[in-house]
Amino acid sequence: MSMFGGLEISGSALTAQRLRMNVTAENIANAETTKGADGNPYRRKEVTLQSVGQAGTFGSQLSRAMGTSGVAPGGVQATEITEDQTNGKLVYDPGHPDANEEGYVRMPNVDTVTEMVDLIDAQRAYEANVTAMTAAKQMFAKTLEILR
Amino acid sequence: MLIDTTQLALERSISGAAQRHEALAANLANASTPGYRRVDVDFHGTLAAAMGTGDKATVEHTAFTTQADPSVGVTQADGNSIDVDNESAKLAANALEQQAAVSVLKARTAIIRSALGVA
Repeated sequence: MSMFGGLEISGSALTAQRLRMNVTAENIANAETTKGADGNPYRRKEVTLQSVGQAGTFGSQLSRAMGTSGVAPGGVQATEITEDQTNGKLVYDPGHPDANEEGYVRMPNVDTVTEMVDLIDAQRAYEANVTAMTAAKQMFAKTLEILR
Repeated sequence: MLIDTTQLALERSISGAAQRHEALAANLANASTPGYRRVDVDFHGTLAAAMGTGDKATVEHTAFTTQADPSVGVTQADGNSIDVDNESAKLAANALEQQAAVSVLKARTAIIRSALGVA
């Protein structure tokens, strides 16, 4: 247990949720991109989150030395950004430069509604962690009052 | 007896609340992590047991354990057991509890100081 452990944990979540928001924004921005750098339609990206232990941190070493057992609560981190490999729908648009011989265009596999839901989820999670940070700050401030 | 069991218990409960805050913050941080199970610190129970012994040294050296909470089942399809509303409520209550403990500790310290004649 360290003095600023709570802030670090919430901070890691802010980083992770902001990354989620950025990736979701990229997906929405590219909802109509039929040709990317590799010549294929854009594929939606997804962030994989994983909880991290605090095995090596000062706080966990200290609490072990003080005889505190159990799990060390850790923050969260984004481990990878993966591309959704499902195919997007085909739209009939013979005039489109990316249309195939039959006149169909392969659209990106981005569903704007799904992305909006992800965006709201990330935003709410971000807010919840900001609240946790504020609470931690108030607790530290209150503890410092003992000295006054 | 300048520092009594209550004073020591207050000090431990401030420490326990700080440890519990970390556990609850970790729960909120992992609200969208697949397979994450919530952790908590039962510092009330541990401290109450220590105070029950009536031994000052036991209370002074009470250590709290952060452990997985098996009482809450999986609430999300991805195996996560975090309910954000519930965690936020617990976090807010815990912060208030810590602040209350600090206030009481400070008031008691003020009484001791005044008894000693220190300003």
